[in-house]
Amino acid sequence: MKIEVKKITGGYGKKIVCRDISFELSSGEVICVAGPNGSGKSTLFRLMLRFNPLLTGDILFDGRSLTEMSQKELAKFLAYIPQNHNPVFAYSVLEVVLMGRANHFSAFSVPKSVDEQVAISCLRRLGIEQLARQNYTELSGGQRQLVMIARAMAQEAQVLIMDEPASSLDYANSQIVLEAVMDLRDEGYAVLMSTHSMDTPFSCADKVLLLQEGRVRAFGQPLETLTPENLEEVYGLPMDVVEVHDRFDRPRHLCMPVRR
Amino acid sequence: MKMKLESFWHDHWRGAIVALAILAVAVCTISLAIGFYSLSFSDVFTYVFSPITGNTDYAYLTPTVVHNIRLPRILSAMMIGAALSVSGCAYQGMFRNPLVSPDVLGVSSAAGAGAATAITLGWSSLGVQAAAFVSGTVMVFLAVAIARRSHHNQTLALVLTGIMIGSLCNAVTTWLKYIADPNESLAEITFWLMGSLIKVDMYAVKLAIWPMLIGFILIWLMRYRLNILVLDDEEAISMGVNIRRDRTLVIIAATLLSAAAVCLGGLIGWVGLMIPHICRAIVGADYRKLIPVSALLGGIFLVLVDDLARSMMIMEIPIGILTSLVGAPFFIMLILKKRKI
Repeated sequence: MKIEVKKITGGYGKKIVCRDISFELSSGEVICVAGPNGSGKSTLFRLMLRFNPLLTGDILFDGRSLTEMSQKELAKFLAYIPQNHNPVFAYSVLEVVLMGRANHFSAFSVPKSVDEQVAISCLRRLGIEQLARQNYTELSGGQRQLVMIARAMAQEAQVLIMDEPASSLDYANSQIVLEAVMDLRDEGYAVLMSTHSMDTPFSCADKVLLLQEGRVRAFGQPLETLTPENLEEVYGLPMDVVEVHDRFDRPRHLCMPVRR
Repeated sequence: MKMKLESFWHDHWRGAIVALAILAVAVCTISLAIGFYSLSFSDVFTYVFSPITGNTDYAYLTPTVVHNIRLPRILSAMMIGAALSVSGCAYQGMFRNPLVSPDVLGVSSAAGAGAATAITLGWSSLGVQAAAFVSGTVMVFLAVAIARRSHHNQTLALVLTGIMIGSLCNAVTTWLKYIADPNESLAEITFWLMGSLIKVDMYAVKLAIWPMLIGFILIWLMRYRLNILVLDDEEAISMGVNIRRDRTLVIIAATLLSAAAVCLGGLIGWVGLMIPHICRAIVGADYRKLIPVSALLGGIFLVLVDDLARSMMIMEIPIGILTSLVGAPFFIMLILKKRKI
């Protein structure tokens, strides 16, 4: 599974937000999309999911062009995990996950027991089987995010697009969600997620796509991309990237603003 | 207790639907014995089962009363209650708003305007029904066609257009009432707008059943897809669902249901708002359970209310008034008890 994003440009109507964005994403890879507000992170996702039309450029899914795919075919490649999902009605967790199967039967049909089995196994893989019968509305933010991930897995797409999955969660919950993301990568999913945290890419991304005013500022390994120079240029703040060691003496990197 | 009830429904909902269906038939049969002309239960049962038992020992007028007066009323109450509840369910999900009722897109106002026009023109009661149905459906499709031209929030555009068309139709109705002959057509228009089953006959039932059947079948087929329509448009699109087509189909079905209900019984409020709420509280949000349960419960509810309407006082109370009398306190209770809607 390989996605090639080739020089795409697009935005909202005549207002162009993303310009000439190119990158590649393969199975078993996590790419963090970073950049300040308004740098085009969400718009990039909207273009890839075809919520907004591409003006120029193309996206290839295993060599097939986005432009010649139906929405239904696209859903077999891409699953979208929204940041906030605020349900009006009290669906149970299992019912929410089952909705991810909508692509697998017609509008005039109902899910088969096979679909229900897939939904349950997705919950099991994330270790939240015990929530199946609870009401989605009564879950914590972290649990909800995991349920959304389960729903995307039930869709059986190989690429997950996550809009700031951890941003509205408390510290422990965001760690749980990020752990789940890394497990998914190990299972062979490709994950594209936007983030405002500068530490997340160092701990769980294989590559970083750093956006600035709708253009790619840098793309590559976290340490090559999130350099103090690039960060200062993009965010307008002096920043340092430092190496630290955890209690098992494993190295990792942190990013922090420097006070003048 | 609530938890227990919910998990009971979860495990046994298919059986519960069968039980509700049996209850519906029982309520209808018992209702045949209720009304102005007194028929005993034994007369009714003897008559109903006479084709099987061969026993014809019932009161002389039983066949006439049952066939010409009570059966069409009970059938139409069942059909209207089911139709309004199901279309209310569908609209509430589609607009992601539990306060939406079947006339959110102006179908009642449009049907009312059509009926008022037909009454003013002196058409027969069949003509009035047809005018109500046609104007109800046409106006909703007009609202849909206008809303589709919006490039932004389609749902919002649809609701706003519905409100506009509804108020336009209300203006027409009010004007027709203003110029109507107070001794004849004004009374008739007012009576129609109140919602009543006094005038229904078998012929009207046979006409209304077709659009209702189409609506019921379409919504039944799409009962699972309705769950997906509750999601944000973009979530649904990302799942590969053709949300525009599906939403249009559901609107067609729900409009056929509510327009047929309105042209059969006039403006009967609250059923389409209240029954979906009760059913959601009992069986949960999944439309696979919600649709059959609210159809049955809505039908049973309206048959019972119609029994009250026929028997509470010597003069019959229009059913539209009774449903509001029951409905409004119910909602106040809901707010006081759950402190949320």
